[in-house]
Amino acid sequence: MFSRSALARAFALPLEQAARPSLTSTTTTFRACLHQSTATTSTTNPPPAEPLSAIPRAQSSAPIVQQTYNNPTTPAPATRADVPETKQPIAPTFTNPLKVSQSLLSTLPYLTAQKPHYITAHLHDRPYLLTEGDDLRLPFLMPNVAPGDILRFNRASLLGSREFTLKGAPYLDERLFECRVRVLGVDSEPLRVKEKTKRRRRHVQKVTSKHRYTLLRIMEVKVKSVEELQREGVVVEEEKA
Amino acid sequence: MPVQGIRTVTAARNGVGAFILQCKRLDFHYCDWAGSSRGMVSFLKNQLTAFAKENPQIEIRVSPRPHKHPVIKGHFINGREKAVCVRNLEPEQIFQKANLLKQNSGEKNKRTKKPVTSINESVRGIWSPYHGGLKGV
Repeated sequence: MFSRSALARAFALPLEQAARPSLTSTTTTFRACLHQSTATTSTTNPPPAEPLSAIPRAQSSAPIVQQTYNNPTTPAPATRADVPETKQPIAPTFTNPLKVSQSLLSTLPYLTAQKPHYITAHLHDRPYLLTEGDDLRLPFLMPNVAPGDILRFNRASLLGSREFTLKGAPYLDERLFECRVRVLGVDSEPLRVKEKTKRRRRHVQKVTSKHRYTLLRIMEVKVKSVEELQREGVVVEEEKA
Repeated sequence: MPVQGIRTVTAARNGVGAFILQCKRLDFHYCDWAGSSRGMVSFLKNQLTAFAKENPQIEIRVSPRPHKHPVIKGHFINGREKAVCVRNLEPEQIFQKANLLKQNSGEKNKRTKKPVTSINESVRGIWSPYHGGLKGV
């Protein structure tokens, strides 16, 4: 449902890096290219000469990078380039390129240009209408996330602005948009007390429960422009006359 | 001169750009004599350094509180404070309580029914019967 990048989870880093140093040479390009997310084009091509901004930095100061996260004086990693390669999120692999009709390609600039955007993102088949900066309290506790992590929602049914809406049937292709959320923390609710009674018995059983919920904040709702789609290798479908 | 509305200033929203953990300080109180602090003392001796090293953004204070039960107090950026009594708890349970305070937003626990809260204006505007395509009945 979502792809995640563990930005703030740099603590377990030395162990992770020590565990799998051999992977990096082949998978580097795909991990880092989530922003330009077409793995479809890059799977066929050999890895380019300079795929990453992180590579020259890592070559120059590889041992220092591991140390910095335990050092309280340095700030937490803020951008993708600050995250070490082994902690980069794994980009999804697509079997075939994104197909877009000619009419969508001609009208998409109107939607892209008109900000702000809203999105109906689906998580566990529940729709959430989101705009940038919104708070989202999930109705459950999401496992294996820590505060500061960035998730990317990739399932949406609606994407729109003031005057235009792109509707999915039933869902939009995840390569048409970018929706990122930040994990803020874990929220709780007041203790629930349910009073249970049986007939003809002067005894009230009190059942308590206290659920915990994951707090998220929407960082970004972005509709990709036609140029970006073309750069990622979109296939334009001819319409039948 | 026409009446002018107050211009809205952009509200700071943690996490949209940079992210700051809401818990800024954890106070650990213990008692050297009392038995209810046994787990807490063990936690302070064995696990607290690792916990502090993992969370460099949280200030950690340890102080005795004689003849009282052990307590963890979390201080949050929004100015609130949450205290958890950890009497007679095992070190692992105390670790869980410390994690709970670390991840907490510091807000008062509320029961909310809507998952999304927004301070943005409606993207599509407010519906008006006088504008847009008028439909005859």
